[in-house]
Amino acid sequence: MENEIAQKNLIDVLVVGGGISGIQASLDLANSGFKVYLIDKSPAIGGKMSQLDKTFPSNDCSMCIESPKFNECSRHPNITILTYTEVGTVKGKPGNFKVTLVKKPRYVVESKCTGCNICAEYCPVKVPDKYNQELSSNKAVHIYFSQALPLIPYIDPETCLYLKDGSCAICEGVCKPGAIDLHQEEEEIEVEVGAIVLSPGFETFDPKLRTDFGYGVMENVVTSLDYERILCSTGPYEGTIRRPSDKKHPEKIAWIQCVGSRQITPGGNSYCSAVCCAYTQKQVILTKDHDAGIEATIFHNDIRAFGKDFERFYQRAENLPDVRFIRSYVSVGKEIPDSKNVTIRYSTTDDGVKEEEFDMVVLSVGLNPPSDVQGLATTFGIELNKHGFCKTNPANAIETSRPGIYVSGAFIGPVDIPESVVAASGANALCSELLSYRRGDLSKEREYPVEKDVSEEEIRIGVVTCLCGANIGRVVDTPGVAAYAGTLPNVVYSEENLFACSTENAQLIADAIVKHNLNRVVLAACTPRTHEPLFRDTCREAGLNQYFFEFANIREHCSWVHSKDKEGATAKAKDIIRMSVARAAELEPLQEFELPVNPQVLVIGGGLAGMTSALSMANVGFEVYLLEKENDLGGMARRIHYTIDGFDVQPHLKELIRKVYRHPSIHVYLDAAITDASGYVGNFTTTVKTEGQIKVIDHGAVIIATGAEEYKPTEYLYGTDDKVLTSLELEDHIIRRDEKVVNSRSLVMIQCVGCRQTDRNYCSRVCCNQSIKNALKMREMNPGMDIHILFRDMRTYGLKEDYYREASEKDIKFIRYEPADKPVVETAVEGGHHIIRVTVTDPILGKKLAIDADLLTLAAAIIPSPSTQSIAKLFKVSMSPDGFFQEAHVKLRPVDFAADGIFMCGIAHYPKHITETISQAYAAAGRAINLLSRDTVTASGAVCDVDENDCVSCGACITACSYGAISFHDTPKGKKATVNPVLCKGDGLCNAKCPTQAIKLKHYTDDEIFAQIDASVPDDERGQCPGAAGCAGCGSH
Amino acid sequence: METVAPFKEIIEVIKEQGGDAFKYCYQCGLCDTVCPWNRVRDFSMRKLIREATFGLTDIESEDLWRCTTCGRCPQYCPRGVKQIESGVALRKIATENDIFPGPIAPIRTVSVGLMGEGNPFNEERKKRGEWAEGLNVKPFTESMEVLYFSCCYLSYAPRLKKVAAATADILNKAGVKFGILGSKESCCGESIRKTGNEELFKKLAKENIRTFIDAGVKKILVSSPHSYHTFKNEYPEFMVHFEVVHISQYLSELIISGRLKLTKEYNKKVTYHDPCYAGRHNGIFEEPREVLKSIPGLKLVEMADNRADSLCCGGGGGRIWVETPKGERFSDLRLEQAITAGATTLVTSCPYCITNFEDSRLALEDTEALEIKDITELIQEMM
Repeated sequence: MENEIAQKNLIDVLVVGGGISGIQASLDLANSGFKVYLIDKSPAIGGKMSQLDKTFPSNDCSMCIESPKFNECSRHPNITILTYTEVGTVKGKPGNFKVTLVKKPRYVVESKCTGCNICAEYCPVKVPDKYNQELSSNKAVHIYFSQALPLIPYIDPETCLYLKDGSCAICEGVCKPGAIDLHQEEEEIEVEVGAIVLSPGFETFDPKLRTDFGYGVMENVVTSLDYERILCSTGPYEGTIRRPSDKKHPEKIAWIQCVGSRQITPGGNSYCSAVCCAYTQKQVILTKDHDAGIEATIFHNDIRAFGKDFERFYQRAENLPDVRFIRSYVSVGKEIPDSKNVTIRYSTTDDGVKEEEFDMVVLSVGLNPPSDVQGLATTFGIELNKHGFCKTNPANAIETSRPGIYVSGAFIGPVDIPESVVAASGANALCSELLSYRRGDLSKEREYPVEKDVSEEEIRIGVVTCLCGANIGRVVDTPGVAAYAGTLPNVVYSEENLFACSTENAQLIADAIVKHNLNRVVLAACTPRTHEPLFRDTCREAGLNQYFFEFANIREHCSWVHSKDKEGATAKAKDIIRMSVARAAELEPLQEFELPVNPQVLVIGGGLAGMTSALSMANVGFEVYLLEKENDLGGMARRIHYTIDGFDVQPHLKELIRKVYRHPSIHVYLDAAITDASGYVGNFTTTVKTEGQIKVIDHGAVIIATGAEEYKPTEYLYGTDDKVLTSLELEDHIIRRDEKVVNSRSLVMIQCVGCRQTDRNYCSRVCCNQSIKNALKMREMNPGMDIHILFRDMRTYGLKEDYYREASEKDIKFIRYEPADKPVVETAVEGGHHIIRVTVTDPILGKKLAIDADLLTLAAAIIPSPSTQSIAKLFKVSMSPDGFFQEAHVKLRPVDFAADGIFMCGIAHYPKHITETISQAYAAAGRAINLLSRDTVTASGAVCDVDENDCVSCGACITACSYGAISFHDTPKGKKATVNPVLCKGDGLCNAKCPTQAIKLKHYTDDEIFAQIDASVPDDERGQCPGAAGCAGCGSH
Repeated sequence: METVAPFKEIIEVIKEQGGDAFKYCYQCGLCDTVCPWNRVRDFSMRKLIREATFGLTDIESEDLWRCTTCGRCPQYCPRGVKQIESGVALRKIATENDIFPGPIAPIRTVSVGLMGEGNPFNEERKKRGEWAEGLNVKPFTESMEVLYFSCCYLSYAPRLKKVAAATADILNKAGVKFGILGSKESCCGESIRKTGNEELFKKLAKENIRTFIDAGVKKILVSSPHSYHTFKNEYPEFMVHFEVVHISQYLSELIISGRLKLTKEYNKKVTYHDPCYAGRHNGIFEEPREVLKSIPGLKLVEMADNRADSLCCGGGGGRIWVETPKGERFSDLRLEQAITAGATTLVTSCPYCITNFEDSRLALEDTEALEIKDITELIQEMM
């Protein structure tokens, strides 16, 4: 490996930090034709996401959605992963940086290690397990976590006895492949790179630094990241909720919000960490899932459910029984000496301060910049903002202050996973623009031998039984199982293997295929979910059709769940293998399709989002068709003149419009309406009516950026009194310096008008900041004006919290109201002047405040544009319950639609700020570049197919298909269903609906599955029903 | 529910008096949860702040006068509301309008004493140095190492004169060249300032500053953390910077340098109470503990609330002059904490704390259960 690096040190992009953002950036870049190095300073990639139990708001298992990406990275021919590696120096300029990588010694030779973990078993030194937040112990040599990539242990130099005083070298002795090298030294690697993506992630706030919540002193006070590990099945208590002091199940748990955040107290952060409200709600929901009897109390001072579907998620948590959300920051009272319970003191408006006892307290800790961020900034020559996050520009939050170095993930500021993924894909677009001249030069494709035809051969099955280190071998009698497998019909080869998935051992399997002339391979090992692609690849390398590979899962389905019953597990492993062998005998070779990709892209919507995507893609070298329904470009951004962080929007917009019009590869169609859309990934055809003409556009990808609209209020005298405006209207008056508005003596703003209510059950995300932005502007223009903002929860998430405090500093007054007791707005005459009187209950005063205003502005909701529905219909894409577009996966595919080749960005997806829109626009471009960089798209062989003789044209399959993959086509025998293999995902729903079994799913045919089921009972036991008194006679024997 | 309108003029007045920081409050309620009042009765700083924000303060309310300026809430406040300074702004308005409701009335008499005689007891000024008679204490001269500023309580209050005597004894035995200003010394003014009487504070401070300068004072040794605080942090407002040292710090120095030798054993469990103005306000936590730990045989135990989280005795912010009803005294709770910690001696180093603790001790079932000592009294016994 070292040699390989030395020879091939010319790469396109260096990605620094292997959390979810770095992983996504690497995959997108590699798939766009760039050679990528992904480095991480820790022993494995995965970052903080790998420590999470589940992710909000979908409550997906975090590792289950992240680890497939580990494998994708590791198998990718254009990604090299270097763990335990940091950057030493960075010199040079965009397109040609010279970077020194420093690979720390892990004292285990990666190329020799099989990951069997024997070293850890024998290591005598127990150390607190960092991955489990030190709630459990591990060994001085150990694999970072069980799904780690690379699955290779490292030796902790701080605690290893050999490295401390040379007193132990047991691991060296027990390691069969001789992979332990206790004399390994730090290694420097020089690389030349075109661009750099920084994704170093974040650190959680350390509540130990201040003693205010008893963390580190009181045993049952844990951080939210500790609690993630406690919830997780791979955590210290194997997924049962226990508290550290006595390992008992807690019955009353308190969550304390904003620990380390939203404060100017020394040691704290003034910003809001943006993710804690939602992750706490997730933890509450999961806790109640584990044990419905647990009482959960959340102490907070604003619930910031500003993201897509967060409002519903909050309600879901709030409506669970025995869950209380209490609006008060708290202090920890005391630890009860005997029970180790902790008391919490909180304020109420009615009953004063209360002190309540809890079994366990979870501190919702905020996000800090990565550790040694100053050193990082110096190394890369980039600037930081005052909070220590990467300094970015509101016009492009993915660019650092140094050209050619981009940033993604939480180093931009506190953001959640989708935004980290968005920035990662966006970084791909920006790197692609920068390095478009060399795209594909360094990347390589895999090459395979010619596939052999086995149709005339007898069936020759090889079975490999994997020990998976100790995972299977310790429980299942693998020699016995392997011997048994050798006796099964058609099996000509059966072997054991310690770790089938290690590179060396996979090669052994490929060799066996050739040597024993195998034409089916059954691997009894782990799960196809993560490893099937690897072994299919092994078969291809041996010249065998990849669909002749069959997985028998004897780990998840057997050794892990029956670890206490070795005999039973061994018997079950034999059953599983017998079934797989029976199925393997029926397998057919299948071909994957390659379809050409049209390298043109259609961008729908000429607002900021659409134009940004379009320009980025054009700069990379693709032909772009940009559609705008109005007669000019600009969209909603034309109404926004400045942002809260001082971004002057109109010059940027004008420049963008100019660039778009002038770019030779961008074809702008104004007054455009789509009349028809057809096709599929790589090959769409869209018909557009534009300025009286009909245009038919062939394109390989679509970016939908159709925007949204401002709600026209019916509340609070809007439309009946000209002193009542929406926030956007106020901005317009401000820009025009309308004297009547500017000279107002008293301005009241009401938040949450038209959303966060039953019929629009979402938060419009931008309005709190929009109101503060306007209020600050008004204050600037008219220092004497009274300004009151009436709100439900201030949602100045992330770094914008500073503006909330600034507004308070500038005497802008905030009054909280409850949705059940909304402000009352009426007209009145005061001192001969017509005014608006706003009456609102102040919960702390316990009184109603009557404020006389000569201007009332309403923070009106952002609502989906009416075109959303028609676009959704044309492109067969789905919409969220709130009427915005629905992404394929809320966490990991935030700009993709479920339908391949279609992407989204901007507020058509969900309300968002301009900077967020721009990032998302780059992300959509990055994803589309990914697709269009390929000459072809591959369709799986395991798709459905119709036997037209049996098809009765009922259309049941067509309605069952979620992907629009089935349609009728005309045949001499009339309309028959036909499957577009590119769109088919192989879920088999149609098979179940078809009344005549005319449609079948290849690779899962009845023959294959029935053979497997039949083999569930061994031949010699079949027909031996023991019978029972009163047997009704099932007829099976 | 009552409907009120924000009172703009009052908002302006509060601002002018120094209550501008009220505007930062986002009503999280944290101040109420750490406030010692809420351990004995309901009191909402948050509400006081909210009322002030809208100019709706009830200037005749006793709540204005509750805050002991212990410093717990500003220490935690995430928004920097500066509750002490802001709260004093409200008291300034009350003082200017001569509004001292019910139990607060004694402040008037105190002010008269301070104005006339330079002490809150209205004792004769000329008697201020009497405590030192027969103790071999000299008037301060420029050549001396340090001025000992005993403060009103140690000069006049019988219980605290013992502390002054112990201090003088220790200083003499350690060979410290020190002197006092006697009748030329005035109250430091710290507490009266917290009642909102800024004018009186300025008068006292200027008198002291003039005296210090005239006498050639460079270094001031104080027994009261309140004097320490105002000399160190507030007198510089008049552009003077004296070196100020608190007795607990000085004792620690004397022991470390070997000038002070402790020979006797004290085989008891002792706990140390951090006075708000030594600890929380000025970060003096470890020196008194080092002093105590240097006493042979002494076992130092900590109370539930210690160091930065110390529980106020109830005497700051002018409350030392106000009668707090039984059942509402923080010092009662503090003694309970000391006993729970297993201590038989409660040591501190603040005249207000000693005063309040001695009062509370008398209310104990077994008044012998706990001794209250100033740190100098214990050291004196150990020499």
